[in-house]
Amino acid sequence: MSPRHAVAAIVAVGFLLAAQKSNAARGDVDPIGTWSCVVWGHPDFGDESVLFHFAPQGIARLARIEAVAVPAWTELTPWIAENREMRLGDPRTGRQYTANLRRDTLGGAWRTLTTTGGWWCAVSDVVVVPDTNEGRAAALPPVLPLVTATPRYPIEAIRTAKQGRVVTCFLVDAAGMIVEPEIIELSDEIFREPTLTALSRSRYEPRSSDAMRPSCRSYMFTLDRLAQHEIEID
Amino acid sequence: MVRIMICGIASCLMLGPAQGQRSQIPELTQEQADSRTVIGVVNEYLAAGAEAIRVKQYDEGIRLTKIGLDRPASPRDRSAALSNLCAAHAAKNEPDLAIGYCNESIGINDANWRAFSNRAYAYYLKRMFDEADADLDVALSINPDAKQMPQIRGMMNERRLRGRVTTEEHN
Repeated sequence: MSPRHAVAAIVAVGFLLAAQKSNAARGDVDPIGTWSCVVWGHPDFGDESVLFHFAPQGIARLARIEAVAVPAWTELTPWIAENREMRLGDPRTGRQYTANLRRDTLGGAWRTLTTTGGWWCAVSDVVVVPDTNEGRAAALPPVLPLVTATPRYPIEAIRTAKQGRVVTCFLVDAAGMIVEPEIIELSDEIFREPTLTALSRSRYEPRSSDAMRPSCRSYMFTLDRLAQHEIEID
Repeated sequence: MVRIMICGIASCLMLGPAQGQRSQIPELTQEQADSRTVIGVVNEYLAAGAEAIRVKQYDEGIRLTKIGLDRPASPRDRSAALSNLCAAHAAKNEPDLAIGYCNESIGINDANWRAFSNRAYAYYLKRMFDEADADLDVALSINPDAKQMPQIRGMMNERRLRGRVTTEEHN
């Protein structure tokens, strides 16, 4: 093993351990405050950048950050927390949001009658949403991939013809490094290690703002059947 | 009449391969779990041929087994011996010969899952994966617990499937 590979392996193992620690039960997250979030999974609208604001007595509101329109806060159904699970709803979209408050940051799943998705947040100090695109970009800078490493397809998964999907969410720091990755959806344990290894090798564009930004990434592991002439046998 | 308590000829024939063979070639011959009572004369050439094949002396195993097949043997034992010839030729990377012997074996005993398994491996060598799949399905229907079938299917999947990972950013 070359020194470069050895270093990469050590980094990946460290990342794996960090992720395992990150997935373990920890202290509760307090939802009160403002959160900049990515809401993903809508089949038509794609991903959305939103601000959630939660206040005591169940007050909840949301502002959708869009390029063309000036965001406005809209009221959500009151949030409740029971057994360290938070629930709330958006009457406009019909989405029911849930979050596991055992995590370090706010995030979880949403569902409607027909669709499901997820959301992931970072603490935000934005209270008044800027009314210009430039202002919003400065306050909530976009998270742009710089290096996107692709997971290897586990050979054992190929041998057993396993396909699957992994969704992971994390925060991105100012330097563009991924921190606190969590596996949100994992169709098979066999895909965990290559996913975390790929994340450990991925980077985002550095930003001038110190604020953490939320991001999620899906990996689809699929198998293509080769044509007869493409098959090689040693 | 002489009653001899021995393992059945088939069980003697189906002996496990050497360890070093396992990584590349699935267990073409293997030990049968049951031990049966055989009344009559043992065909020692078939047993010796199976042992030679087990230790990867394929040419010697083929020679001995062919001698054994020229001597009296029950249909079940003939089927097992032909299956072993199939295994030996497959191990020698002679799939056409192997398939011929497996066909003969199955013609005598169509419940011989090892013959189907061995023929599947021979088909794999010829890249005839659909035929190999069909044989593996039959073999599995006869013996769902056999380890060879997932092994052969895994080898086929490794060749015929290509993994693709697509990434989607959500932000």
